[in-house]
Amino acid sequence: MSSIARKLAGPSSSRGTRILGALALVSTVLLLLLGLIWSPREVDQADAVRLMYVHVPSAVVGLYFAFGVTLVGSIVYLRKQSDFWDLMAHAGAEIGVLFCAFVLVTGALWGRPTWGVYWEWDPRITSTTVTLVLYLGYLAVRRMDLDPVVRSRRAAILGIISFANLLIVKQSVEWWRGLHQGSTVGIDTQMDGLMFFTLAWGVLTFTLIFAWLLMHRFRLAWYEHQAAAVSLDDAIAARRGEHRSSLAGEAI
Amino acid sequence: MKRGSTRNKVIGGVVALALTFVLYQGIVNARVFFYNVDEAIAQQAELGDRTFRMQGTVVAESGTSEGGALVFTVAYNDATAQVRHVGPEPSDLFDLGEPVVVEGHWNGDVFESSQILVKHDESYVEDNPNRVDYNLDTGVG
Amino acid sequence: MHWQYVIPGYVIVFAGLGVYTASLMSRLRSAARKIPEEKRAFLE
Repeated sequence: MSSIARKLAGPSSSRGTRILGALALVSTVLLLLLGLIWSPREVDQADAVRLMYVHVPSAVVGLYFAFGVTLVGSIVYLRKQSDFWDLMAHAGAEIGVLFCAFVLVTGALWGRPTWGVYWEWDPRITSTTVTLVLYLGYLAVRRMDLDPVVRSRRAAILGIISFANLLIVKQSVEWWRGLHQGSTVGIDTQMDGLMFFTLAWGVLTFTLIFAWLLMHRFRLAWYEHQAAAVSLDDAIAARRGEHRSSLAGEAI
Repeated sequence: MKRGSTRNKVIGGVVALALTFVLYQGIVNARVFFYNVDEAIAQQAELGDRTFRMQGTVVAESGTSEGGALVFTVAYNDATAQVRHVGPEPSDLFDLGEPVVVEGHWNGDVFESSQILVKHDESYVEDNPNRVDYNLDTGVG
Repeated sequence: MHWQYVIPGYVIVFAGLGVYTASLMSRLRSAARKIPEEKRAFLE
Protein backbone atom coordinates (compact mmCIF):
# COMPACT_ATOMS: atom_id res chain seq x y z
CA MET A 1 0.00 0.00 0.00
CA SER A 2 1.43 3.34 -1.03
CA SER A 3 1.92 6.16 1.39
CA ILE A 4 -0.80 8.22 -0.34
CA ALA A 5 -3.24 5.41 0.28
CA ARG A 6 -2.20 5.26 3.91
CA LYS A 7 -2.80 8.97 4.35
CA LEU A 8 -6.14 8.93 2.55
CA ALA A 9 -7.47 6.00 4.47
CA GLY A 10 -6.13 7.12 7.82
CA PRO A 11 -8.20 8.17 10.82
CA SER A 12 -11.46 9.71 9.69
CA SER A 13 -10.26 13.27 10.07
CA SER A 14 -6.79 14.55 9.41
CA ARG A 15 -5.28 18.03 9.32
CA GLY A 16 -5.10 17.93 5.52
CA THR A 17 -8.76 17.11 4.96
CA ARG A 18 -9.88 19.63 7.58
CA ILE A 19 -8.01 22.41 5.78
CA LEU A 20 -9.42 21.25 2.44
CA GLY A 21 -12.92 21.18 3.92
CA ALA A 22 -12.57 24.70 5.29
CA LEU A 23 -11.30 25.97 1.93
CA ALA A 24 -14.21 24.31 0.13
CA LEU A 25 -16.70 25.94 2.52
CA VAL A 26 -15.23 29.44 2.16
CA SER A 27 -15.07 29.00 -1.59
CA THR A 28 -18.72 27.91 -1.65
CA VAL A 29 -19.82 31.02 0.26
CA LEU A 30 -17.93 33.21 -2.22
CA LEU A 31 -19.45 31.30 -5.13
CA LEU A 32 -22.95 31.97 -3.78
CA LEU A 33 -22.18 35.67 -3.44
CA LEU A 34 -20.58 35.85 -6.88
CA GLY A 35 -23.22 33.73 -8.59
CA LEU A 36 -26.34 35.16 -7.00
CA ILE A 37 -25.43 38.76 -6.18
CA TRP A 38 -22.17 40.17 -7.51
CA SER A 39 -22.23 38.85 -11.07
CA PRO A 40 -24.36 40.74 -13.60
CA ARG A 41 -27.51 39.44 -15.24
CA GLU A 42 -27.27 38.53 -18.87
CA VAL A 43 -28.85 40.66 -21.58
CA ASP A 44 -31.12 37.89 -22.97
CA GLN A 45 -31.21 35.21 -20.28
CA ALA A 46 -31.53 37.74 -17.43
CA ASP A 47 -30.92 35.98 -14.09
CA ALA A 48 -31.26 32.48 -15.58
CA VAL A 49 -27.59 32.84 -16.59
CA ARG A 50 -26.75 32.30 -12.90
CA LEU A 51 -27.62 28.62 -13.25
CA MET A 52 -24.57 28.30 -15.51
CA TYR A 53 -22.26 28.86 -12.51
CA VAL A 54 -23.38 25.55 -10.98
CA HIS A 55 -24.33 23.72 -14.19
CA VAL A 56 -20.99 23.96 -15.99
CA PRO A 57 -18.83 23.23 -12.88
CA SER A 58 -21.00 20.17 -12.09
CA ALA A 59 -20.45 18.97 -15.65
CA VAL A 60 -16.69 19.59 -15.72
CA VAL A 61 -16.01 18.14 -12.28
CA GLY A 62 -18.60 15.33 -12.33
CA LEU A 63 -18.29 14.11 -15.88
CA TYR A 64 -14.56 14.61 -16.41
CA PHE A 65 -12.86 14.61 -13.00
CA ALA A 66 -15.04 12.13 -11.09
CA PHE A 67 -15.65 9.73 -13.95
CA GLY A 68 -12.01 10.26 -14.96
CA VAL A 69 -10.99 8.90 -11.54
CA THR A 70 -13.24 5.91 -12.24
CA LEU A 71 -11.58 5.42 -15.63
CA VAL A 72 -8.04 5.57 -14.24
CA GLY A 73 -8.99 3.37 -11.27
CA SER A 74 -10.60 0.80 -13.57
CA ILE A 75 -7.60 0.63 -15.91
CA VAL A 76 -5.06 0.35 -13.08
CA TYR A 77 -7.20 -2.25 -11.31
CA LEU A 78 -7.42 -4.43 -14.42
CA ARG A 79 -3.67 -4.21 -14.97
CA LYS A 80 -2.40 -4.53 -11.41
CA GLN A 81 -5.37 -5.78 -9.33
CA SER A 82 -4.73 -2.85 -6.99
CA ASP A 83 -7.40 -2.65 -4.28
CA PHE A 84 -6.59 1.02 -3.78
CA TRP A 85 -7.56 1.89 -7.37
CA ASP A 86 -10.57 -0.41 -7.31
CA LEU A 87 -11.98 1.45 -4.31
CA MET A 88 -10.99 4.81 -5.82
CA ALA A 89 -12.91 3.96 -9.02
CA HIS A 90 -15.99 3.16 -6.94
CA ALA A 91 -15.68 6.40 -4.94
CA GLY A 92 -15.33 8.50 -8.12
CA ALA A 93 -18.40 6.94 -9.73
CA GLU A 94 -20.68 7.63 -6.77
CA ILE A 95 -19.74 11.32 -6.60
CA GLY A 96 -19.86 11.58 -10.38
CA VAL A 97 -23.45 10.30 -10.42
CA LEU A 98 -24.45 12.97 -7.88
CA PHE A 99 -22.86 15.75 -9.97
CA CYS A 100 -24.28 14.35 -13.20
CA ALA A 101 -27.75 14.55 -11.66
CA PHE A 102 -27.04 18.21 -10.79
CA VAL A 103 -26.11 18.84 -14.43
CA LEU A 104 -29.45 17.51 -15.68
CA VAL A 105 -31.55 19.29 -13.03
CA THR A 106 -29.90 22.70 -13.43
CA GLY A 107 -29.94 22.30 -17.21
CA ALA A 108 -33.69 21.64 -17.17
CA LEU A 109 -34.31 24.65 -14.93
CA TRP A 110 -32.29 26.80 -17.34
CA GLY A 111 -34.02 25.34 -20.39
CA ARG A 112 -37.51 26.37 -19.33
CA PRO A 113 -36.97 30.17 -19.35
CA THR A 114 -34.48 30.08 -22.24
CA TRP A 115 -35.56 27.47 -24.79
CA GLY A 116 -39.14 27.36 -23.57
CA VAL A 117 -39.09 23.73 -22.39
CA TYR A 118 -37.60 21.87 -19.42
CA TRP A 119 -36.65 18.83 -21.41
CA GLU A 120 -35.83 18.09 -25.03
CA TRP A 121 -34.39 14.86 -26.37
CA ASP A 122 -31.56 16.95 -27.76
CA PRO A 123 -28.27 15.08 -28.48
CA ARG A 124 -26.44 16.70 -25.54
CA ILE A 125 -29.22 16.02 -23.07
CA THR A 126 -29.84 12.49 -24.32
CA SER A 127 -26.14 11.55 -24.20
CA THR A 128 -25.78 13.05 -20.70
CA THR A 129 -28.79 11.03 -19.53
CA VAL A 130 -27.23 7.90 -21.06
CA THR A 131 -24.09 8.69 -19.03
CA LEU A 132 -26.10 8.94 -15.81
CA VAL A 133 -27.80 5.61 -16.46
CA LEU A 134 -24.51 3.89 -17.36
CA TYR A 135 -22.86 5.00 -14.12
CA LEU A 136 -25.97 4.07 -12.12
CA GLY A 137 -25.46 0.68 -13.77
CA TYR A 138 -21.84 0.75 -12.59
CA LEU A 139 -23.00 1.40 -9.01
CA ALA A 140 -25.57 -1.39 -9.41
CA VAL A 141 -22.85 -3.84 -10.46
CA ARG A 142 -20.96 -2.76 -7.33
CA ARG A 143 -23.94 -3.85 -5.21
CA MET A 144 -24.39 -7.19 -6.93
CA ASP A 145 -24.05 -10.32 -4.89
CA LEU A 146 -21.00 -11.77 -6.65
CA ASP A 147 -17.53 -12.96 -5.86
CA PRO A 148 -15.65 -9.71 -4.97
CA VAL A 149 -12.96 -10.25 -7.63
CA VAL A 150 -15.52 -10.96 -10.37
CA ARG A 151 -17.55 -7.94 -9.26
CA SER A 152 -14.55 -5.61 -9.29
CA ARG A 153 -13.49 -6.82 -12.72
CA ARG A 154 -16.96 -6.37 -14.22
CA ALA A 155 -17.26 -2.92 -12.67
CA ALA A 156 -13.85 -1.93 -14.07
CA ILE A 157 -14.84 -2.98 -17.59
CA LEU A 158 -18.07 -0.98 -17.28
CA GLY A 159 -16.08 1.97 -15.87
CA ILE A 160 -13.97 2.05 -19.03
CA ILE A 161 -16.85 1.59 -21.49
CA SER A 162 -18.92 4.28 -19.77
CA PHE A 163 -16.12 6.80 -20.08
CA ALA A 164 -16.00 6.23 -23.85
CA ASN A 165 -19.60 7.41 -23.88
CA LEU A 166 -18.45 10.76 -22.49
CA LEU A 167 -16.64 11.45 -25.76
CA ILE A 168 -20.08 11.30 -27.40
CA VAL A 169 -21.39 13.80 -24.82
CA LYS A 170 -18.46 16.10 -25.54
CA GLN A 171 -18.85 15.95 -29.31
CA SER A 172 -22.67 15.81 -29.37
CA VAL A 173 -22.98 19.58 -29.85
CA GLU A 174 -20.71 19.41 -32.89
CA TRP A 175 -21.86 16.13 -34.47
CA TRP A 176 -25.63 16.58 -34.42
CA ARG A 177 -27.92 19.53 -34.74
CA GLY A 178 -29.70 20.24 -31.53
CA LEU A 179 -30.76 22.93 -29.14
CA HIS A 180 -27.79 22.96 -26.80
CA GLN A 181 -25.25 25.69 -27.43
CA GLY A 182 -21.63 24.92 -28.20
CA SER A 183 -18.93 24.63 -25.56
CA THR A 184 -19.29 27.32 -22.93
CA VAL A 185 -15.60 28.04 -22.95
CA GLY A 186 -14.50 27.77 -26.55
CA ILE A 187 -13.14 29.78 -29.45
CA ASP A 188 -16.50 31.30 -30.39
CA THR A 189 -17.54 32.06 -26.85
CA GLN A 190 -18.22 35.58 -25.92
CA MET A 191 -18.40 36.08 -22.18
CA ASP A 192 -18.03 39.21 -20.13
CA GLY A 193 -15.33 39.47 -17.46
CA LEU A 194 -17.12 38.95 -14.16
CA MET A 195 -19.29 36.21 -15.64
CA PHE A 196 -16.17 34.37 -16.76
CA PHE A 197 -14.53 34.88 -13.37
CA THR A 198 -17.63 33.56 -11.58
CA LEU A 199 -17.70 30.53 -13.84
CA ALA A 200 -14.00 29.86 -13.20
CA TRP A 201 -14.62 30.28 -9.47
CA GLY A 202 -17.45 27.78 -9.73
CA VAL A 203 -15.13 25.21 -11.33
CA LEU A 204 -12.53 25.82 -8.59
CA THR A 205 -15.14 25.49 -5.82
CA PHE A 206 -16.61 22.29 -7.25
CA THR A 207 -13.10 20.88 -7.63
CA LEU A 208 -12.40 21.51 -3.92
CA ILE A 209 -15.75 20.00 -2.92
CA PHE A 210 -15.06 17.02 -5.15
CA ALA A 211 -11.56 16.46 -3.70
CA TRP A 212 -12.95 16.55 -0.15
CA LEU A 213 -15.83 14.20 -0.98
CA LEU A 214 -13.54 11.82 -2.86
CA MET A 215 -11.16 11.48 0.10
CA HIS A 216 -14.01 10.73 2.47
CA ARG A 217 -15.82 8.42 0.08
CA PHE A 218 -12.54 6.57 -0.43
CA ARG A 219 -12.13 6.19 3.33
CA LEU A 220 -15.61 4.74 3.57
CA ALA A 221 -14.79 2.24 0.79
CA TRP A 222 -11.55 1.37 2.57
CA TYR A 223 -13.30 0.80 5.89
CA GLU A 224 -15.87 -1.42 4.21
CA HIS A 225 -13.07 -3.32 2.52
CA GLN A 226 -11.33 -3.77 5.89
CA ALA A 227 -14.59 -4.80 7.58
CA ALA A 228 -15.11 -7.47 4.92
CA ALA A 229 -11.59 -8.74 5.57
CA VAL A 230 -12.23 -8.71 9.33
CA SER A 231 -15.44 -10.68 8.95
CA LEU A 232 -13.62 -13.12 6.66
CA ASP A 233 -10.90 -13.55 9.31
CA ASP A 234 -13.59 -14.11 11.95
CA ALA A 235 -15.29 -16.67 9.77
CA ILE A 236 -12.03 -18.53 9.25
CA ALA A 237 -11.26 -18.37 12.98
CA ALA A 238 -14.76 -19.63 13.81
CA ARG A 239 -14.34 -22.46 11.30
CA ARG A 240 -11.03 -23.42 12.87
CA GLY A 241 -12.62 -23.29 16.33
CA GLU A 242 -15.39 -25.63 15.18
CA HIS A 243 -12.90 -27.96 13.66
CA ARG A 244 -10.84 -28.01 16.82
CA SER A 245 -13.84 -28.69 19.05
CA SER A 246 -15.06 -31.46 16.76
CA LEU A 247 -11.61 -33.04 16.93
CA ALA A 248 -11.77 -32.69 20.68
CA GLY A 249 -15.17 -34.39 20.61
CA GLU A 250 -13.75 -37.33 18.68
CA ALA A 251 -10.90 -37.65 21.12
CA ILE A 252 -13.34 -38.11 23.96
CA MET B 1 -27.26 -17.23 -2.69
CA LYS B 2 -30.70 -17.73 -4.28
CA ARG B 3 -31.91 -14.40 -2.96
CA GLY B 4 -28.71 -12.73 -4.15
CA SER B 5 -29.12 -13.93 -7.72
CA THR B 6 -32.72 -12.65 -7.84
CA ARG B 7 -31.49 -9.26 -6.65
CA ASN B 8 -28.79 -9.26 -9.32
CA LYS B 9 -31.40 -9.89 -12.00
CA VAL B 10 -33.68 -7.13 -10.69
CA ILE B 11 -30.82 -4.61 -10.58
CA GLY B 12 -29.62 -5.57 -14.05
CA GLY B 13 -33.16 -5.47 -15.44
CA VAL B 14 -33.94 -2.01 -14.07
CA VAL B 15 -30.70 -0.54 -15.47
CA ALA B 16 -31.21 -2.22 -18.85
CA LEU B 17 -34.78 -0.90 -19.02
CA ALA B 18 -33.71 2.66 -18.15
CA LEU B 19 -30.96 2.59 -20.76
CA THR B 20 -33.34 1.24 -23.41
CA PHE B 21 -35.89 3.93 -22.63
CA VAL B 22 -33.34 6.76 -22.91
CA LEU B 23 -31.80 5.43 -26.14
CA TYR B 24 -35.28 4.83 -27.60
CA GLN B 25 -36.32 8.41 -26.84
CA GLY B 26 -33.09 9.74 -28.29
CA ILE B 27 -33.45 7.76 -31.52
CA VAL B 28 -37.17 8.43 -31.99
CA ASN B 29 -36.64 12.14 -31.50
CA ALA B 30 -33.60 12.21 -33.75
CA ARG B 31 -35.93 10.96 -36.49
CA VAL B 32 -37.76 14.29 -36.40
CA PHE B 33 -35.53 15.84 -39.04
CA PHE B 34 -33.75 19.03 -38.29
CA TYR B 35 -33.27 21.32 -41.28
CA ASN B 36 -31.99 24.81 -41.75
CA VAL B 37 -34.41 27.15 -43.54
CA ASP B 38 -32.59 26.93 -46.89
CA GLU B 39 -32.58 23.11 -46.76
CA ALA B 40 -36.24 22.95 -45.79
CA ILE B 41 -37.11 25.12 -48.80
CA ALA B 42 -34.93 23.08 -51.16
CA GLN B 43 -36.62 19.86 -50.01
CA GLN B 44 -40.13 21.26 -49.76
CA ALA B 45 -41.53 18.80 -52.34
CA GLU B 46 -40.13 15.68 -50.66
CA LEU B 47 -41.14 16.86 -47.21
CA GLY B 48 -44.81 17.30 -48.19
CA ASP B 49 -46.81 17.66 -44.99
CA ARG B 50 -44.35 15.65 -42.85
CA THR B 51 -43.49 17.07 -39.43
CA PHE B 52 -39.91 18.28 -39.04
CA ARG B 53 -37.88 20.94 -37.29
CA MET B 54 -36.56 24.03 -38.95
CA GLN B 55 -33.81 26.26 -37.65
CA GLY B 56 -33.44 29.92 -38.53
CA THR B 57 -33.12 33.43 -37.16
CA VAL B 58 -36.18 35.59 -36.60
CA VAL B 59 -35.86 38.46 -39.10
CA ALA B 60 -39.35 39.98 -39.07
CA GLU B 61 -42.31 39.80 -36.74
CA SER B 62 -45.76 40.46 -38.13
CA GLY B 63 -47.48 40.14 -34.77
CA THR B 64 -50.53 38.09 -33.93
CA SER B 65 -53.07 37.35 -36.67
CA GLU B 66 -56.84 37.21 -36.17
CA GLY B 67 -56.77 33.42 -35.60
CA GLY B 68 -54.49 33.87 -32.59
CA ALA B 69 -51.50 32.70 -34.62
CA LEU B 70 -48.07 34.24 -34.20
CA VAL B 71 -46.71 35.17 -37.63
CA PHE B 72 -43.03 35.84 -38.26
CA THR B 73 -40.24 35.28 -40.74
CA VAL B 74 -37.13 33.18 -40.22
CA ALA B 75 -33.96 33.21 -42.29
CA TYR B 76 -30.90 31.03 -42.74
CA ASN B 77 -28.21 31.30 -45.41
CA ASP B 78 -30.14 34.03 -47.26
CA ALA B 79 -33.29 31.90 -47.54
CA THR B 80 -36.40 33.11 -45.73
CA ALA B 81 -39.64 31.42 -44.78
CA GLN B 82 -42.84 32.63 -43.23
CA VAL B 83 -43.94 30.85 -40.05
CA ARG B 84 -47.46 30.73 -38.67
CA HIS B 85 -47.36 29.46 -35.10
CA VAL B 86 -50.36 28.17 -33.16
CA GLY B 87 -49.49 26.66 -29.79
CA PRO B 88 -47.68 27.39 -26.56
CA GLU B 89 -46.06 30.81 -26.30
CA PRO B 90 -42.32 30.85 -26.88
CA SER B 91 -39.95 31.83 -24.05
CA ASP B 92 -39.21 35.49 -23.23
CA LEU B 93 -36.06 35.28 -25.30
CA PHE B 94 -38.08 35.08 -28.52
CA ASP B 95 -37.17 38.26 -30.34
CA LEU B 96 -35.83 39.68 -33.59
CA GLY B 97 -32.35 38.39 -34.26
CA GLU B 98 -32.72 35.31 -32.02
CA PRO B 99 -32.15 31.86 -33.53
CA VAL B 100 -35.17 29.59 -33.14
CA VAL B 101 -36.14 26.01 -33.89
CA VAL B 102 -39.75 25.59 -35.01
CA GLU B 103 -41.50 22.24 -35.20
CA GLY B 104 -44.27 21.73 -37.74
CA HIS B 105 -44.87 21.20 -41.46
CA TRP B 106 -45.22 23.02 -44.74
CA ASN B 107 -48.64 24.27 -45.80
CA GLY B 108 -47.97 25.70 -49.22
CA ASP B 109 -45.18 28.20 -48.73
CA VAL B 110 -46.04 28.84 -45.09
CA PHE B 111 -44.55 26.79 -42.27
CA GLU B 112 -47.26 25.78 -39.79
CA SER B 113 -45.57 25.61 -36.40
CA SER B 114 -46.81 23.95 -33.23
CA GLN B 115 -43.74 24.58 -31.08
CA ILE B 116 -41.10 27.30 -30.92
CA LEU B 117 -37.82 26.65 -29.13
CA VAL B 118 -35.43 29.53 -28.71
CA LYS B 119 -31.90 28.34 -29.37
CA HIS B 120 -29.52 30.41 -27.33
CA ASP B 121 -25.98 30.71 -28.64
CA GLU B 122 -22.79 30.66 -26.57
CA SER B 123 -22.64 34.39 -25.99
CA TYR B 124 -22.97 35.76 -22.49
CA VAL B 125 -23.24 39.52 -22.48
CA GLU B 126 -23.45 41.60 -19.36
CA ASP B 127 -26.77 43.40 -19.04
CA ASN B 128 -26.08 47.08 -18.70
CA PRO B 129 -28.54 48.70 -16.27
CA ASN B 130 -28.33 51.93 -18.25
CA ARG B 131 -29.53 50.27 -21.40
CA VAL B 132 -32.84 51.84 -22.29
CA ASP B 133 -34.68 48.84 -23.73
CA TYR B 134 -34.26 46.79 -20.60
CA ASN B 135 -36.20 48.95 -18.21
CA LEU B 136 -39.13 48.91 -20.60
CA ASP B 137 -39.96 45.24 -20.35
CA THR B 138 -39.05 44.28 -16.84
CA GLY B 139 -39.39 47.28 -14.62
CA VAL B 140 -38.29 45.44 -11.52
CA GLY B 141 -35.09 43.55 -10.84
CA MET C 1 -36.19 37.92 -13.69
CA HIS C 2 -36.30 34.09 -13.79
CA TRP C 3 -35.39 33.80 -10.11
CA GLN C 4 -38.10 31.13 -9.82
CA TYR C 5 -35.79 28.83 -11.79
CA VAL C 6 -32.47 30.01 -10.34
CA ILE C 7 -33.33 29.54 -6.64
CA PRO C 8 -34.61 25.95 -6.93
CA GLY C 9 -31.50 25.09 -8.96
CA TYR C 10 -29.13 26.41 -6.30
CA VAL C 11 -31.19 24.85 -3.50
CA ILE C 12 -31.16 21.42 -5.16
CA VAL C 13 -27.41 21.53 -5.79
CA PHE C 14 -26.28 22.80 -2.39
CA ALA C 15 -28.88 20.95 -0.34
CA GLY C 16 -27.99 17.86 -2.38
CA LEU C 17 -24.33 18.30 -1.49
CA GLY C 18 -25.23 18.82 2.17
CA VAL C 19 -27.41 15.73 2.36
CA TYR C 20 -24.80 13.62 0.56
CA THR C 21 -22.06 14.86 2.90
CA ALA C 22 -24.16 14.15 6.00
CA SER C 23 -24.98 10.65 4.81
CA LEU C 24 -21.34 10.04 3.91
CA MET C 25 -20.27 11.06 7.43
CA SER C 26 -22.82 8.77 9.06
CA ARG C 27 -21.84 5.87 6.78
CA LEU C 28 -18.19 6.53 7.67
CA ARG C 29 -18.89 6.43 11.39
CA SER C 30 -20.85 3.21 11.24
CA ALA C 31 -18.24 1.58 8.95
CA ALA C 32 -15.43 2.64 11.32
CA ARG C 33 -17.21 0.94 14.22
CA LYS C 34 -17.17 -2.39 12.38
CA ILE C 35 -13.39 -2.65 12.26
CA PRO C 36 -10.93 -2.93 15.15
CA GLU C 37 -9.28 0.29 16.31
CA GLU C 38 -5.80 -0.65 15.15
CA LYS C 39 -6.94 -1.33 11.59
CA ARG C 40 -8.39 2.18 11.13
CA ALA C 41 -5.05 3.88 11.11
CA PHE C 42 -2.70 1.24 9.80
CA LEU C 43 -3.30 -0.14 6.41
CA GLU C 44 -1.39 -3.01 5.02
